[in-house]
Amino acid sequence: MKTRLLLIALIVVLSATLIYLAAFWEPLPPATITAARPHARLAAAAKPAGGDFILQGPQGPVALADYRGQVVLLYFGYTYCPDVCPTSLALIAQALSGLEASERQQVQAWLISVDPQRDSAERLQEYAPFFHRTLIGLSGTPAEIARVAAQYGASYQAQPPNAQGQYSVDHSSATYLIDTQGKLALSLPHASTPAQILAAIRQHLAPVAVR
Amino acid sequence: MRLHPTLAVLATTLTALTLPLPTLASETDLSIIGAYVRMVPPGTPNTAAFMTIANSGSSNRKLLMAESPAAKRSELHTHINDQGMMRMRQVEAIEIKAAAHTELKPGGYHIMLLDLQQSLKEGDSVPLTLRFDDGSTKEIAAAVKKPQTVMKATDTPEHGAMKH
Repeated sequence: MKTRLLLIALIVVLSATLIYLAAFWEPLPPATITAARPHARLAAAAKPAGGDFILQGPQGPVALADYRGQVVLLYFGYTYCPDVCPTSLALIAQALSGLEASERQQVQAWLISVDPQRDSAERLQEYAPFFHRTLIGLSGTPAEIARVAAQYGASYQAQPPNAQGQYSVDHSSATYLIDTQGKLALSLPHASTPAQILAAIRQHLAPVAVR
Repeated sequence: MRLHPTLAVLATTLTALTLPLPTLASETDLSIIGAYVRMVPPGTPNTAAFMTIANSGSSNRKLLMAESPAAKRSELHTHINDQGMMRMRQVEAIEIKAAAHTELKPGGYHIMLLDLQQSLKEGDSVPLTLRFDDGSTKEIAAAVKKPQTVMKATDTPEHGAMKH
């Protein structure tokens, strides 16, 4: 008798579940999936201060302090990035191509890897010039990268690897512009057009307007 | 025994409608426009394919899967711009609504090609097989394009929009 009651109860519960699934259940849209994994601490800092740093370039250490008098563009990305980084770097490259030769000598663009585990200085050297011959990739220890990212308000988070051990890295996709005094002047949001990037560079290259 | 004329017409129409539709409709309702694969620097294992999928049919369709001999695996992905954080996520399907089109474009939906079997050069053609939820498939060839080339092509309408 007890077993029968239990069976009936089980059938009722299962049917209810089935009805619920059929009638109400909808797979989560992607936005909900990501919303379920918040990384509150990773939110870009409210007011990044910028500042000097030293990272590894293809020919050894590269220090921002050595670039006073130049406008420096910083982009945080990684070479295994399938879409966002190539898009952004192509936009930056197109802006660089729009500069006059005399202007170009006063501009330096750097790709800082947020995936130092896979991106060696050599790997970056293979990758960056594809977009523009003057684009240079910088790497460092995870701690060094984290410090520079925090200085500039960039954020990133490696995702869990798949069965093949591959992982993607979520990351902010702004381009930071450092003026000729070494100060963080502005950050250009993701998908800024070459014209917008070019205008921002020129604004900081141009000598102070005569009053 | 004779059928009522209306019934006869109805029966014929129904038969005509049901028989050819499931096979014919799926092959003609979807079209792929402007498919390309982005060229990436040498030694880069992953890239993405982009295109516009148009659905001229009267029912919603879903792209469920993509396959290509050029890559070990192909996955459907999207990007979510979460307050400036670009989060790439795999999706189960990409919907193409009835009488509408869905764009697979940089920063949004794309077919991610993982573990490229060989470096892709500009001008190469990448075969892709797309599988849809009605059981139909599409075989297409996507041209490999440098990111710069693609940018220039998409830049034009933006300039037009900038007029004051």
